[in-house]
Amino acid sequence: MRANEEALRGLMIDGLDGDAAAHAALLRLLVPLLRGFYRRRANGSDDDIEDLVQETLIAVHTRRATYDRERAFTAWLFAIARYKMVDHFRRTRRLQPIEGLEETLIEPDFENALVARLDVEELLAALPGKQAQAIRATRIDGLSVAEAAQAGGIGESDVKVSVHRGLKALVARIQGGAR
Amino acid sequence: MNTDDLIAQLSEDVPPVRRGAVGLRLVLGILLGALVSGTALVLVLGIRPDLGLAMRGPAFWMKWGYTFSLALAAIVMTVQLARPDSARLRWTWLLAVPVVLLGGLGVAELARTPPGLWLAMWLGHSWMICPWLVLALAMPIFIGLLWSFRRLAPTRLRAAGAAAGLAAGAFAATVYCMHCPEVSAIFVLTWYSLGILLAASIGALLGPRLLRW
Repeated sequence: MRANEEALRGLMIDGLDGDAAAHAALLRLLVPLLRGFYRRRANGSDDDIEDLVQETLIAVHTRRATYDRERAFTAWLFAIARYKMVDHFRRTRRLQPIEGLEETLIEPDFENALVARLDVEELLAALPGKQAQAIRATRIDGLSVAEAAQAGGIGESDVKVSVHRGLKALVARIQGGAR
Repeated sequence: MNTDDLIAQLSEDVPPVRRGAVGLRLVLGILLGALVSGTALVLVLGIRPDLGLAMRGPAFWMKWGYTFSLALAAIVMTVQLARPDSARLRWTWLLAVPVVLLGGLGVAELARTPPGLWLAMWLGHSWMICPWLVLALAMPIFIGLLWSFRRLAPTRLRAAGAAAGLAAGAFAATVYCMHCPEVSAIFVLTWYSLGILLAASIGALLGPRLLRW
């Protein structure tokens, strides 16, 4: 199941209609999303982050009635996640300044990037391993073709061909999905 | 607890949620509180003896219309602030409508009245206690709203507290209309509004403490 806005929103709405399986699937999909959110934002220990993730899951569950079916699900989710993080800091480190709090409160770009990255990973997973690796190395991690070839233990032309074929397959897939 | 176990446990209890559940819960909280306020009004203050007669004149409906429409506008704010993604508030201008309309009535009233009587009209018979009675009647309604908020998710706690206080104050003033015999628009605009604003201020003050979740 893809963890994108559309899929999450669909599961949430099914859950609100009383579908327990959809609700469970939603909560499971939120776990990696929330871990990514808090790891990037809260730079606390893993235990802290897992606490925050669990608190947020409980909040998503107990306050599910506050989701408006007409509005974006991820905006609702991350609003809860941000609130839980600020509240967590308030409780545990009362006197320490919170680094980048303002960004945390106002900047939604990271949230979009997080969702977009999940989409990309999902797409790459559908490609053959070599193509996905070549695209990841050259287009996401920013390696040169030579570096990617060395890291992958394959020839440079092989990398170029893999990237080319992989991207072509992705374009076809996305256009197919959009139709 | 392990996160997977938590999810399994949470997923055991997934009752359906109807659309508009937030508004319904807030209205329920207000009605429960208003029941207490109404009972206190009947038992302690008493309903004005000429209520039946007053309901046939315009002054009663002017007061009631002002307080009730203000309460509805405050509920619109409260519903929005009860959701986590409440960064942009819509329809805030609704709050200004009752005030502007009553202000217009007040000006017309002053124009009709000789200036020598203005002060008496403005202070009425009960200006000293009116705001405090409105505030007192607002408390049960505010408590009812706190109960509503226990299942809601405000993230702007001060604003949510203020909106809840405003709604409680305006509904309390609506209840208070059953007792209060004053008839002047500028009286209502000043002293009712003062009581309602006091309730909103207390809500703003207490919001960050009482609405945390």
